[in-house]
Amino acid sequence: MEVTFKVYRGEGQDGKPSYQSYPLEVRPESTVMEGLVQIREEQDGSLAFRGGCYRGFCGDCSLRVNRKGVVSCLVPIGSIEKDGELLIEPVRNVDTVKDLVYDMDRLLWDKFEKVQPWLQPREDWPEAIADEELAPVRLAMRCTMCGFCDEGCTVIDVDRDFIGPAALTKAFRFVFDPRDKAAPERLAGISEREGLWDCVHCFEASEHCPMAIDPTYRIMELRDVAIRHGIKSGKGNQKNARHYDSFASSVRRTGWLDERRLALESEGFIGYLTMLPTGLKAIQRGKAPLRHRSRLSAGAVGRIFEKQDRKAAAARKNGKEGKQK
Amino acid sequence: MTRYAFYSGCVSKGACPELYASATKIAPQLGFELDEMTDVGCTGAGVLTQEVSDPVNARTLAKAEAMGVPMVTICSTCQGVIGQANFRLQDQKYREYINSEYLAEEGLEYKGTAEVKHLLWLLVEDFGLERLKELITNPLTGLRVSPFYGCYLRRPDEVLGNTARKRYLEQVIEALGAELVDIAGKGKCCGFPVLNANETTSMKMAAKHTGEAKDKGADCMVVPCPLCHLNLDGNQSKAAAVAKREIGLPILHLPQLVGMALGFPPEELEMRRHMVSTKAVSAKVKRVPLLT
Repeated sequence: MEVTFKVYRGEGQDGKPSYQSYPLEVRPESTVMEGLVQIREEQDGSLAFRGGCYRGFCGDCSLRVNRKGVVSCLVPIGSIEKDGELLIEPVRNVDTVKDLVYDMDRLLWDKFEKVQPWLQPREDWPEAIADEELAPVRLAMRCTMCGFCDEGCTVIDVDRDFIGPAALTKAFRFVFDPRDKAAPERLAGISEREGLWDCVHCFEASEHCPMAIDPTYRIMELRDVAIRHGIKSGKGNQKNARHYDSFASSVRRTGWLDERRLALESEGFIGYLTMLPTGLKAIQRGKAPLRHRSRLSAGAVGRIFEKQDRKAAAARKNGKEGKQK
Repeated sequence: MTRYAFYSGCVSKGACPELYASATKIAPQLGFELDEMTDVGCTGAGVLTQEVSDPVNARTLAKAEAMGVPMVTICSTCQGVIGQANFRLQDQKYREYINSEYLAEEGLEYKGTAEVKHLLWLLVEDFGLERLKELITNPLTGLRVSPFYGCYLRRPDEVLGNTARKRYLEQVIEALGAELVDIAGKGKCCGFPVLNANETTSMKMAAKHTGEAKDKGADCMVVPCPLCHLNLDGNQSKAAAVAKREIGLPILHLPQLVGMALGFPPEELEMRRHMVSTKAVSAKVKRVPLLT
C-alpha cells in the first residue's frame, strides 16, 4: 500500500513545528518502526529516531502516531494510517534532541536515579518468599520504561520537574519488595515537593500505560504505605501533612469533613492570614460554613478508624507496615 | 417520581452550598426523588488511605443496597472514590473480609450489588436527553459553554463502566440549547488535589483549562464536581495571577446550567455565591417564567 509519513523534524525558524513528508510503498502489516527504517535507508539518512529491540521490549521507540501514543515497533501501519497518512511526532511533556529523539534523561533517567533503583538487602534475608508477596514486584517489573505514563501526566504537563509516575512506579517496585530494607528512607526521599505528594491521581498514567501496570493505583498504594510509616510530606511541603491530619481527624470524629478546621489547620496561622481576603469574600457569599455538626455516622466511622489503628499497631509490631491489608 | 439514595458529599454542604441547592431544586422537575442518606461517612476523597476508606464506603454501599434503589452522587470525586471502592468490593474474598471485620458488628452486610451513579449519568441514562429537551422553557441559545469533567467521570474505564459516559457533558450542553465550546483540557485534572502539596502546580492547571475555554470564546464552563469548582472558581483569580493573564470565566455547577434551561431564576440556583461573577451568564440567558 502507498502511505505518506509526515514526520516531525523539530522547530522551524518561525518557532513552529516543522514536518517533512515521505511517500512510502509498504505492506499494511509492516510496523511504523519498519517504515521509519525504510525512510532512513532509502530516502533520508538524516532522520533521527530511536529503536532497540523491535519487539516491544526495550521502551525505546515510543512515538505519537496520528496523535496517539504507541510503541512504534508493535503497531502495523495498516492499523493506524488515516486516509493513507501517518502523522509521526515525538512524545509530549519533554523537549526533543533531534527529530523524534526525545531527551530521555529529562523525562526518565534523572528521575529514576532519585528513587535509588537498586535493592538494599535486608540483613535477615528471607530464605523463601511466598509467591503472592512478590506479585506487586513482578507487576511493577513489567515496566519497559516506554515513558507513556509520564508523557500523559497532567502534572508534568505544567511542571516538568515533577518526579512522575514512571519513577514512582519504580519506587513502588522496591518499597513493596520483601527483601528490601529501605522502605521508610525511600518514602521519605520521594516525599519532598515535586515528589509523591504532587500526584493528582487523575488516572491518566493508568490510561496511558501499555503494560497494564496501572501506575495510578501503584502511586496510591505507595502513599498508603507512606502514611502507615507516618510520612505524609517532606520538610518543604508540610502543609500536605497538616491537611491529611486535619482531614482524617474530622472524618474520624464527625463522620465527614469539617472544612472550617481544614482550612485553618492546613494553612497554619500565617497561611490563614494570607487567605483572609478570599476567606472573607467566601463568608460574605455563604461559602464558608460557620457550623459543623457531626453526622449520624460519626460513631460507626470512628470505630472503623479505631479498628484500623489497632490493626496498624499490630502490623508495626511484626515489622509488616507495608504488607498489612 | 423515581427514588434514589442521595449521597450529597461534604462540599455541597460546606463550601459549595449552591450545588446542593440547585441539585435539589431541579430534581423534582425531572421526577427524581432524592432520598438523602444521612447515616453515611465521607468517601475519603482520595486523601484517606484505602484501609480506612474502603470499609467506610462499603458501609455506605450496604446502606444504599438496603434501600433497594440506585445511589446518586452530585460530586465526581465522591463518584470516583466510592466507585473505585465498589469495584474492589466486587471481589468476593475482599468483600467478605470487609463485611466480617468492619460491617458485621453493626449488623450490616454489603452484597456487592449497589449501583452508584452521578447526576450527569441520571440525566442522560435514566431521564433521557429527548425528554429533557421537552422540559426546557428557557433554551440557552447563544450561551457558549465549555465542558470540564475533571478526572473521575472520565477515568478509569473499569470503574466508569460505560465509556459513552465520557461524552455526556457535551450532549447535555447541546440538549439545553447552548453552544458547545470544546476544549482539549476537558478531561484533565483541575489541580485541586495538589493544592496543599504544591500550590503553584495547582494554579497552573486551573489557569490552563479556564484560560483555554476563555481563549476559545466560552461565556462559562460547566463542572460536575464541586472540588473542580473550588479550584476553577474559588481560586481563579490566584490562578490568573500565577499565569500572569486575565481569565474571568464564570464556572457553573451542572445542575445550575440545567436549572437555567428549566426556567429557574439565577437567584434560586444561588449563582450569586460564586467567587467569579456569573452576571454576564444570567444576562445572556433570557428568562421566561417557570411553568408550574
